[in-house]
Amino acid sequence: MPDIDALKAEAKRILSEGMVDMVIGFKAGDTPLHPQPAFFKTPDEVDQLVYNALCQNNLATYLTRFPKNQKIGMVVRGCESRSVNALVFEGQHPKDGLYLIGVPCEGIIDWRKIVEQTGEEVFSIFEQSNNTVLVESKSGFFTLEKETLLHESCSRCIHPNPISANVVIGELLPEGDPALAREKVAAFASLSMEERHAWFRQEAERCIRCYACREACPMCYCEECFVDHITPRWTESGTTPAGMQGWHIVRAFHQTGRCTSCGACERACPMDIKMTYLTEKLNEDMRRKYNFEVGLDATTPPPFSTVTLDDKSRFVI
Amino acid sequence: MNLILKKDHLKHLLNAWRQDYEVYAPQSLQNFTHFLPLQDGFELAFDKAHNTRIPPKALFLPTSEALLKFTRFGGYEEVPSETAPRLIFGIHPCDAHAMTMLDTVFEQERYTDPLWKARREATVVVGLGCDEPCKTGFCTTVGSGPFNHAGLDAILTDLGEIFLVEILTDKGEYLFTQLETASEDQSMQASEVQQAAKASMPIAFETEGLKQKLDQNFASPYWEEVSRSCLGCGVCTFLCPTCFCFDIVDEAQRGERVRNWDTCMFRTYSLEASGHNPRPSRVERTRQRLSHKYSYWLDQINQIGCTGCGRCVRYCPVGLDIRAMLRKAHQLPSEVLHA
Repeated sequence: MPDIDALKAEAKRILSEGMVDMVIGFKAGDTPLHPQPAFFKTPDEVDQLVYNALCQNNLATYLTRFPKNQKIGMVVRGCESRSVNALVFEGQHPKDGLYLIGVPCEGIIDWRKIVEQTGEEVFSIFEQSNNTVLVESKSGFFTLEKETLLHESCSRCIHPNPISANVVIGELLPEGDPALAREKVAAFASLSMEERHAWFRQEAERCIRCYACREACPMCYCEECFVDHITPRWTESGTTPAGMQGWHIVRAFHQTGRCTSCGACERACPMDIKMTYLTEKLNEDMRRKYNFEVGLDATTPPPFSTVTLDDKSRFVI
Repeated sequence: MNLILKKDHLKHLLNAWRQDYEVYAPQSLQNFTHFLPLQDGFELAFDKAHNTRIPPKALFLPTSEALLKFTRFGGYEEVPSETAPRLIFGIHPCDAHAMTMLDTVFEQERYTDPLWKARREATVVVGLGCDEPCKTGFCTTVGSGPFNHAGLDAILTDLGEIFLVEILTDKGEYLFTQLETASEDQSMQASEVQQAAKASMPIAFETEGLKQKLDQNFASPYWEEVSRSCLGCGVCTFLCPTCFCFDIVDEAQRGERVRNWDTCMFRTYSLEASGHNPRPSRVERTRQRLSHKYSYWLDQINQIGCTGCGRCVRYCPVGLDIRAMLRKAHQLPSEVLHA
């Protein structure tokens, strides 16, 4: 856990020195389970800044909302920093208009896994140094193993440390094992085509098309999403199997070489739909076929964002 | 009249009802509960502390449904309205109450939605009161309650080994003909459970004068402030039991005119054909959502358009809490409106 006072001090410094117009971070929510994204414009407001393992959003999703001439500070974890890099590459904000305060991330906790054990009325949550979380709820005190509470995307995270941050607050953590991400992909890929299709159908079937996954994703910033396009219509509009499957498959494919595996889509989904099994496969393909991982810098173009004269497929040129 | 339903008799009764009705009751679906039709060997999943993830409004206004079918070469046929008798068992009072509000939308004198009406008329609704009200809920604040009767034909109170059944309508009476009558003691006991549940729920925000504050502060910077972290997704409205907006789309390839859920939180919701959007940002959309529930419904039916089920609070991906937003709204200045 980074020192919250050091984090606040840096956020205050960049605001008071006029280096940024705003710092995007988190503030306490109405319950300890739900910290909220927050936008601090003055050093005084930064007193409200919190950072803990319950901060579940990828803050980079807000970046595209602000004018490009606005100087923005942001508290970034590994995944957020890679999303920012990908957005900078895509021209969504100039790199020199950003000040990234990096925090090494020990993983995001799924609040649902806490309330399953402690009940709904949670008064406080303390992350303790021995990888346990002390929760005080109406039903009493609970000591929970942090590892068991993490989101799946965080359990298999490869790059917990912020990349390209202007400053890092806290000790860097060891890199994750890429084999863990591969394991998940391999397990899914080893199923028969019928089984994979059944899995896909079963997940997509629950979709209510609220687009929380889209809005939570930093890389989904299209002014007009393909599902909202009317002439021509690219996919069925409703919650028919064709409509839901169309949405999920195209959403995933649009992320090829752009998804940073942050898992914000799954965390936002009100229907607990698993989505990263699709994007992880695409990310794995990018690694294997093109030796590419998105967001490691802001200059390497994703393979599908480039065209060269010696391209194997001639159809594009 | 109050009756007694022994819990070990419940399955038998549900199966008996299945002879005459399609019976919907909360069952597990993945990690949450959902109103699904009972099949042989069903397992009920009463999650007392929570509502089903999707409100039962979906049984009357499905996420998507065809209104009519057409062919490429002209001609169309309407989809017959569904009329098979149905029974919803175990609905919580907030969700049942919400349905009565939606009736005022879909069963207006001049414009009646035949699909909604047919489904409502064909459905008997048996509620399960909340003796352990959920922590995100605030039904008592907005004029509903954990044992509210609105929209129910009968309501159950959990008394351990038994449910006390309160019959509220003729439809409800018809369902429970074989049960023994509750003793005075049992009725007293149920009444105590109900009072305790109600008393356990704090008032989440002040509703008196709230509408006026919202109306007077239509142009306040408050709206920018409370909508700043909003993602603009449809979670709060799609999971809301009183939200009913829909969009009608012609699926030309399939030859169907379809009605889909829609929400004021989407950019496309108020986007006009000219390209103009009267609610161009999340600021105006958030204002619409809150004002509709806490002001415009009051103009229309003199009721707050929210039954306090708490789903929007629990499932907002950025932790926005409507209770906190409204507490803040109540502290806004009262301004004199200029004509």
